Amino acid sequence: MSQMPTDSADAILGQEFLTWLWYQSDTAPGGFTDVDGQPFAVSMEQRIVVAGGEGEARETASVSGSLSPLREARFGLGTGKKVTRALIRIEKDDLAFQFTLRAEDFSIGSLRTPRLDKDDADDDPDALLLEKIYLVESCLALVDSLYARFLKLRLSTQWQKEVADMGSWMTRTT
Amino acid sequence: MGFANASVSFTRLRILDPVTNELLREVPERLRRHAFVDIDDLPEMQAQGWVCFEDFLDTEWAEASPQKGGYFVFSLRVDKRKIPAGVIRKQVALALQQEKEVLRAHNKTFISRERKKEIKEQVLLRLQQRFLPVPGEFNVIWLLEKNEVWFASTQNGMIDLFMEIFLQTFDLRLEQLTPYLLAMNLLDEAMLLHLDRLEATQFSSADA
Repeated sequence: MSQMPTDSADAILGQEFLTWLWYQSDTAPGGFTDVDGQPFAVSMEQRIVVAGGEGEARETASVSGSLSPLREARFGLGTGKKVTRALIRIEKDDLAFQFTLRAEDFSIGSLRTPRLDKDDADDDPDALLLEKIYLVESCLALVDSLYARFLKLRLSTQWQKEVADMGSWMTRTT
Repeated sequence: MGFANASVSFTRLRILDPVTNELLREVPERLRRHAFVDIDDLPEMQAQGWVCFEDFLDTEWAEASPQKGGYFVFSLRVDKRKIPAGVIRKQVALALQQEKEVLRAHNKTFISRERKKEIKEQVLLRLQQRFLPVPGEFNVIWLLEKNEVWFASTQNGMIDLFMEIFLQTFDLRLEQLTPYLLAMNLLDEAMLLHLDRLEATQFSSADA
């Protein structure tokens, strides 16, 4: 998959989703809702990997934490760079999830779910694993709801308006 | 790192073929039939097969059943012998040196290409017995209701191997839930038509 041309449907959807999610989480971090209309928050500025150019001229930069490199990476989006990977943090009620999402294939890296309560293991040996699976499923359901929202917008006529708003955000100096 | 660890990396896959109740009943038996076979004492470079989720030495599921509620959980074990190239080079050179000494005793010096190949194979076979295979374990979670499978690796080679063994074991084809395929899962038919006409967005202000 790493050899995949950058203009494949997977790469287009994956990269544009992460770019849009960065924009949304930066401008309205708490403005997300799940399939049941329940609110949750997304942030993804702890680590973002952007890439630009083709073949030998391909450059990759990983930016994190401090504001100035992030701003530079955001400007880079306006010159054609793409988000290829990002560390995403999702918070819903008192649950927090953190993972890396790779644009080209949506593989999930280093997913951390809320800590399990070891006392639950006393009654049923499978209880901890089942709870862990439940938490991972909950996290993926939130990811799917974000992706579904993106797709709906991406495939509608409103996308051009969103692109214009994202363009202003990319070149914003604050 | 697997699903029992604090942090897990994994790939989402979807089952393409229909899963019958009869097949589901056979899952434990099919896992046993394609269970991992240890190669510590065999001259094989690699072996792979299923093991118990709770104990990667258990290939009989004596420790725990693979079925947990609406899920099947098990692991793919892949053992590989890794012999450093430098070790092979040195041992082949030593073996060739010995061969030359034997030939010299008979007033000969030439070692044919076939003989060299044979010597290298013998060296590899000898080394395989001296290097223990390195075990690898990759958790699998099969979500029956969602028809989805999580595989605890993000390496393409390992994902391909997993899909192949899953197919051999259960006669079920898997497909990785990449952005395009996940979109197909989430969208209705009308939206899918738009998806096939997708072109990359130009965010670049220079192109505007």
